Amino acid sequence: MANFKVNYREDTALFQNLWVKSWLVIFIVTMLVLPFLLSRYQLSILDEMGIAVIGALGLNLLIGYTGQISLGHGAFVAIGAYTSGLLAGTLGVPFIISLPLSGMTAALLSLIVGVPSLRLKGLYLALGTLAFGFIIEYILFHWDLTRGDTGMAVPKIGTEGFFIETERQFFYLIMFFAAVATLVAKNLARTKIGRSFVAIRDRDIAAEAMGISLSKYKIMAFAVAAFYAGVAGSLMAYYQKWIVPGNFDITLSIAYIAMIVLGGMGTVLGSILGAILITGIPHAIVYLTDALRGTYPNLSNLIVDLKLGIFGLVIVLTLLLEPQGLVGIYRRIKVYWKTWPFKY
Amino acid sequence: MEKIIEILFNGLSMGAIYALMALGFVLIFKSTGVINFAQGELAMVGAFICYSFATMMNVPYIYAFFIALIGGLILGAVVYQVFFRTMVGEPLFSTIMVTVGLASILTCLAGLIWGHDVYSLNSPFTDKVIHLDKITFAQGSISTIIVSIVLFVIVILFFNRSLLGISMRGSAEDPDTAGLMGINVKKIHMVAWALGGLVAAVAGMFLAEQSFVRLAMSNVGLKAMAAAILGGMESISGAIVGGIIIGVVEGLAANYLSGMSLGNFHMGDIKDVAAFVIMIIVLMIRPHGIFGKEKVERV
Repeated sequence: MANFKVNYREDTALFQNLWVKSWLVIFIVTMLVLPFLLSRYQLSILDEMGIAVIGALGLNLLIGYTGQISLGHGAFVAIGAYTSGLLAGTLGVPFIISLPLSGMTAALLSLIVGVPSLRLKGLYLALGTLAFGFIIEYILFHWDLTRGDTGMAVPKIGTEGFFIETERQFFYLIMFFAAVATLVAKNLARTKIGRSFVAIRDRDIAAEAMGISLSKYKIMAFAVAAFYAGVAGSLMAYYQKWIVPGNFDITLSIAYIAMIVLGGMGTVLGSILGAILITGIPHAIVYLTDALRGTYPNLSNLIVDLKLGIFGLVIVLTLLLEPQGLVGIYRRIKVYWKTWPFKY
Repeated sequence: MEKIIEILFNGLSMGAIYALMALGFVLIFKSTGVINFAQGELAMVGAFICYSFATMMNVPYIYAFFIALIGGLILGAVVYQVFFRTMVGEPLFSTIMVTVGLASILTCLAGLIWGHDVYSLNSPFTDKVIHLDKITFAQGSISTIIVSIVLFVIVILFFNRSLLGISMRGSAEDPDTAGLMGINVKKIHMVAWALGGLVAAVAGMFLAEQSFVRLAMSNVGLKAMAAAILGGMESISGAIVGGIIIGVVEGLAANYLSGMSLGNFHMGDIKDVAAFVIMIIVLMIRPHGIFGKEKVERV
């Protein structure tokens, strides 16, 4: 099944051949039909996954492509969620405006860590972003506007007569944005911007010597990542209908990192796979503990502990055993079957 | 006047704990080049071990203290053997993320073993104070400061005078050359992790004495990392200065700022983020910390 390209148009095509296109059509049709086949609970898991995909794509553009470590991604999700909550809740701004505004606010605030990142590297940047996450959490808890511990309600999407409120409507909405986010990320990675990101990751001094403006592209990477996180946060706020600061603590940042590490850094497919799996794991645990409740009645109290521990274990084991993540495994299998029965 | 001396003194004793923790970071970073985000979790486990023996099993405190020290030592060595033996030469992101994952795993295990309750540790110094002309000093704080000073002197002598300490510095500088010079780099790394675990356990127990034993105490690890960064990660004296700065600023913030509110923003427990605010400001001005040296990079 050779894949020869005879002109530039074929070479730059996003969907390279008939196989990819037909799989894509099958995937889209499945996504359209799925809400009519699944239960509400199953759809809610898929909705969560869709939101996680958006956030993970943003973080992967920052960590996987640009190589800037961020331990504060959860803070940008929080900024997005609270911007939407405040805009829609107190000012009555419609969804179609508050969603991009949430992303924009997060991108704007990302300058707080983006600008120091020009001078900070590696661990100093990791700690700076971590500190940023703690400060945002602290502000959310202590500002009257965000109502601290009690949290705030987020109104429904829509105007009179038509509201997006059922699980099925949310599914289409979230999947639409997840698809757009994926396409944008995939295309961004192929443009000059994406290639500059990769050059900065691989050797920032060399990249600068090649004429890539470090300050421009580093700040851009932070802003893009924050925009993605803000959009994910906005969707999360509308979907959950109630937001509290506790939802956006360090666990969320670690979960996002676990997603891209498990999926595969520096790949769009990896972000999606990782987001699906890491979001799925807690539900799988709940399912398992429900099944085992008869024999171990205390198990369901331990879920909170287990969740964090399992995320940690996933990160550690992936980095120790398969640093390329799931995408690495996928590539190996693909190469194996392509060249079968030869070794290479 | 008495009040401010008390605040400064308490800040100093808190600062000594941060400095001890930061010392653990610096120990591990100086010899292995790994930044250990799980230092606070190691301290928490040390405190929980001490609590288990001293309060639950009624072992005399001094024995429990030493048991926890040995526990920290073994834990550090085990962590190295399991997680970091194969991580030599991996990119920075991987090593940082492995320690972050390790932190989550340790929190999970501690939560499963000891639960989410808040315990208090009964030590010989609990609730004992010394009065000195209207000013009250807690004995626990005094013992913390004294033990920290002794430990710092030992560590500084160790790194500058002993063969092991010098070979640790050497293997941090350049693991390959150190190996060629006949230094067993893997052994050195394990010793560094074990010592890091031990120092963390000491800090954890002192911290437990001043407040409580609970899962959330591992947050102190992150503040201590802020202290280490302030000082510049590679210098032991930097860790001490950074720890003291953060301890004192926290004390001042807790006493003077926490009641205030700006418009509709209440300061509340600002002491918990003061360390991070200072750290971000210092990093903006001096990206390599106060005592850190800027590294010249070659392409």
